[in-house]
Amino acid sequence: MSADENQQAREQLIDLAAQFYDQFELGEIPHMSVPTRTKNNIEYDEEMDVWVYGDRESTRSANSVRGARKLLKAIYTIEFLSEQLEEDRSSTLRELYYLSESWDNDEAQFNDQDESNSMVEDLEIVSGVTREDFHMRPEESGATIMGPLYLREQTRRGERKIHCQEDVGEGGYQIPNNPDTIDFLDCDADFILAVETGGMRDRLVENGFDEEYNALIVHLKGQPARATRRITKRLHDELDLPVTVFTDGDPWSYRIYGSVAYGSIKSAHLSEYLATPEADFIGIQPADIVEYELPTDPLADSDINALESELEDPRFQTDYWEEQIELQLDLGKKSEQQSLASHGLDFVTDTYLPERLSEMGVL
Amino acid sequence: MTSFQSTLGDEPGIAEELAESQQSISIAEFFEKNKHMLGFDSGARGLVTAVKEAVDNALDAAEESGILPDIYVEIQEAGDYYRLIVEDNGPGLTKETLPKVFGKLLYGSRFHAREQSRGQQGIGISAAVLYSQLTSGKPAKITSRTQGSEEAEYFELIVDTDSNEPEISVEETTTWDRPHGTRIELEMEANMRARQQLHDYIKHTAVVNPHARLELREPQEHFKFERATDQLPEETEEIRPHPHGVELGTVMKMLTATDSQTVSGFVQEEFTRVGKKTADSIIDAFRDRHYGREMRWRPPASHESIDLHAAVEDATANKGPDATTAFADAIAEAVADSDRIAHFELREAVESAAEAVEDDHGTTFGDTVRENAVEAVWLELIDVTEADDDAAAETADEDEPATDADSRLVADLYDLADDATSTRKDDEVIHAFADRLAGKFEDPEDVRHRFTHETLREYVDRAADLTEEYDDVSFGETARENVTEAIWDIMATVPDDPPLVRELDGDRDATSNLVDAMRATDIMAPPTRCLAPISEELITAGLEKEFDADFYASATRDAGVSGGDPFIVEAGIAYGGDLPAEGTGEVMRFANRVPLVYQRGACATTDVVKSIGWRNYGLDQPGGSGLPNGPVVIMVHVASTNVPFTSESKDAVANVPEIEDEIELAIREAARDLKSYLNKRRSMQQRRKKQNVLGKILPEMAEKVAEVTGRDEPDIDDAIARIMNNVLVERDVEENGDGQAVSVVVENNSGTNESLEITDIVSAEPTNLSDGANVVEMDGEWFVKWEPEVSSDDEAALEYEVPDDATFDLDVKGVESEKLTVKQ
Repeated sequence: MSADENQQAREQLIDLAAQFYDQFELGEIPHMSVPTRTKNNIEYDEEMDVWVYGDRESTRSANSVRGARKLLKAIYTIEFLSEQLEEDRSSTLRELYYLSESWDNDEAQFNDQDESNSMVEDLEIVSGVTREDFHMRPEESGATIMGPLYLREQTRRGERKIHCQEDVGEGGYQIPNNPDTIDFLDCDADFILAVETGGMRDRLVENGFDEEYNALIVHLKGQPARATRRITKRLHDELDLPVTVFTDGDPWSYRIYGSVAYGSIKSAHLSEYLATPEADFIGIQPADIVEYELPTDPLADSDINALESELEDPRFQTDYWEEQIELQLDLGKKSEQQSLASHGLDFVTDTYLPERLSEMGVL
Repeated sequence: MTSFQSTLGDEPGIAEELAESQQSISIAEFFEKNKHMLGFDSGARGLVTAVKEAVDNALDAAEESGILPDIYVEIQEAGDYYRLIVEDNGPGLTKETLPKVFGKLLYGSRFHAREQSRGQQGIGISAAVLYSQLTSGKPAKITSRTQGSEEAEYFELIVDTDSNEPEISVEETTTWDRPHGTRIELEMEANMRARQQLHDYIKHTAVVNPHARLELREPQEHFKFERATDQLPEETEEIRPHPHGVELGTVMKMLTATDSQTVSGFVQEEFTRVGKKTADSIIDAFRDRHYGREMRWRPPASHESIDLHAAVEDATANKGPDATTAFADAIAEAVADSDRIAHFELREAVESAAEAVEDDHGTTFGDTVRENAVEAVWLELIDVTEADDDAAAETADEDEPATDADSRLVADLYDLADDATSTRKDDEVIHAFADRLAGKFEDPEDVRHRFTHETLREYVDRAADLTEEYDDVSFGETARENVTEAIWDIMATVPDDPPLVRELDGDRDATSNLVDAMRATDIMAPPTRCLAPISEELITAGLEKEFDADFYASATRDAGVSGGDPFIVEAGIAYGGDLPAEGTGEVMRFANRVPLVYQRGACATTDVVKSIGWRNYGLDQPGGSGLPNGPVVIMVHVASTNVPFTSESKDAVANVPEIEDEIELAIREAARDLKSYLNKRRSMQQRRKKQNVLGKILPEMAEKVAEVTGRDEPDIDDAIARIMNNVLVERDVEENGDGQAVSVVVENNSGTNESLEITDIVSAEPTNLSDGANVVEMDGEWFVKWEPEVSSDDEAALEYEVPDDATFDLDVKGVESEKLTVKQ
């Protein structure tokens, strides 16, 4: 992270403040427009092959007490971020929330963390600087990589060269908050296998799947953090590795795939930078539930709602997903990754994954 | 049973025995036993009632003689009793009438007059005297002096309850310092537990009688209520009854008593607001009820094979061919020319045709000929010559619906019924109905087809019932009503002369028709000169005088009529200020300017106030009904020539629908003003709140923005004015050679047009003043006055030049301070 980059991010923030300043001077009501961050306002960018925000905007204006408070908070946040950049420090989103308590102005303090999170998102969008470049990080990422990859990470304590199979324990290599500090040195992997749950990741590592199939096992840890998505994209773009995603067979897990492949609604302004549209979904597919006779749970009402809402989600409007989701609604059932264990602990590595990956043309 | 009967038979004297104990009761005796009916049911209440009766009398007396009332009330403790003294500055009473006024129940000048006054029956004050003598055994002591007389009369008297006559114990002349007036002193068993009601009564009296001066002296306290106006209530006049408010019995009595010969004369003479035109309308309405209307049928259309010409010719004999043809022509033409024609209209046409032909041809057309012609044409028109299928239509034979030979009436009624009923009704059904209805028309003996609305409705009902029964369809109330009205509308009022008054006299049914006709006719509301409403202005003045509130509203309705008596309802509302914010609001009830302090729950006024949804008007109302909460006083005044009270003690207005409706409208009218006041206040509060918060946040934001960008603090007044939709008045001063050019710019950011009054006080003489402004010099200061009208989102500027060292001071009026931002 160079001082230059810090400076650039800082200037962009200060420009934003200057914009408010000019509005005051012109006798205008200070305001700030950001794209509306809802499902209805994301659209497909054909050029980039990802989903980005549409034209709908929400305006934060000092016209109302609420809006004025928001803008006041924005100014305080800008000040904090620009100081942080100047000092080359970093903080977590949660720290920002608590830190606001120390601000001299009661009106500027955040009421909850959702508010401060969304404020950072607003500023990201309006200034065009990513959160990482503001030196803001989420609480924990903890996502890991295991596989034949040799890389160099620029840490605050100097450069580290790490092999993600040989230099790490069973836990794998921990992905840093800003994966752009990593340079890839060497890679023997044939493809990336992104796995939703920790249990399944551990099963694959224990069964030596990464060694046997030259796979780079990326642990998503549920809904993947930005860093996880960013490194996945870089691995795909820079090393030309195919990306596959292996999750549970329920609507929430499809969204995990969706955010890897198409970007998430909350960070659609960064889709270009985070999403890997070429990523393929391994399963568990609703079709697998039938084919492999997997143990199931019935769909709850919330699951059905989520599936129906996915049918309207622009990210899932492909023939493949419509077919799968309709099938699942017909079945009325869902299955977890680990239900594959009903055919034995090795079933997933010996049978299911090889079969699916061959089908998909990865193996 | 039988044994008892035989006993009765055995003692034939029992009825006589019982009859011996029957005797008439004096009214005074009756009230002696029924004191509660007059409001003297307890010592506490008796005192209040006595004050009330005396004060009401005093006010009435003074007003009647055009004197501004000045009334003094004193309550003294007198051993075991209380002594009540009421003094007024009225005209005084003559020696002859005085004893009767105070010593005889039901003696008064008001009972027979249709005119607004406080007292009506002539019971009140004598009842107080009666109560006093019953409880303390002491006579009433009355002093009265008439204007101009040397001395005052002094009486001590009681009511003789056996004869209901005054019993005078002392009668003498005395001296009195008042030039005119009356003073009454009563001693009675009483207590002061009802002091609150007494105070309410006096205070409320002061509210609705802003022209009166009142003073109340109690053993411990002393209140004075000064006048708010020197304007006496307008003098009232007696009026005749209004046609909308009289009952059958009254009209029958009036018919017997009247000198008029004709109904027209009767209604014009005996009622108010009835002139020739209204009398005609009443009589037309009366004819409709008394005689009924005549059905008007369509004249034959060209395609119908009806030859009226031939019919007339056939019916006319021995008049010579030319005259006969001319006669027939004239009639046929007259019929064809009319849209529809009734029997009497046909008769008129025949009469005029006959006369015209008589003139032209010199042939006499006698009554018989005319009669024959009328009958011939009429029978053609109503198609009686056709086969007698009326019976067939009645019984509606199942196998052969009467389609072949529709009479003209069926076709005519079909069209009417079809227009009047919903389009959903099947054609067949309407047809069947029209057929049956035509049957009813053909039935009656009166070939003229004359009947009342009631009969018409019976016919329609019968036809509809049959249709429902045989055709198995519904023919609802609305459809029946619509058909009835459609037919009734085309029927014609007959020209028959109404009966004379002496014919009506004693004829209950005909009189009832007349009463109905009077009620159905639109008649102007009764004159209000018999009423003396307080007026909106004085209600507000009265409320302002007695309540220290933030807001006052009042409404005076137009006069309405109830039971032949005109009435006016007025309402007033006071809100906020020093009124108690806790608990329910206060309701003040008045009838003819008299406060009603008892039986609040039984009063129509209270019922109406409770029934109003006060939340709509911005007041708190727990549960959405009942009395509103908060700092509010609601007053209602019912003025009438005869206020309907629930009892003789005159504590509560009875629930008369017409009056209740007007009370509601009056209250709502005043409440609407309250609502807009409260809305405005609320929006100003919100604006103030927003201004307070933004006034804090925006400068802080500006400060922070300046800090982050490293610039000077920005100027935020314009932005704030715009955010607050405010009117911004801003001064701009520029160097201009030796002097300075000043411009005062008004920027209206609000949604409405604003008129401002701007005064700029300048320490040196301004020159080159822009248009619309003027300058006044006072003591070395120049007042630049400018009154611009600035429309929404517009600007206006005042410009002038002054020497270098001038100072300014800007004063802006015409815009609420919450909406104004001034930058000097």
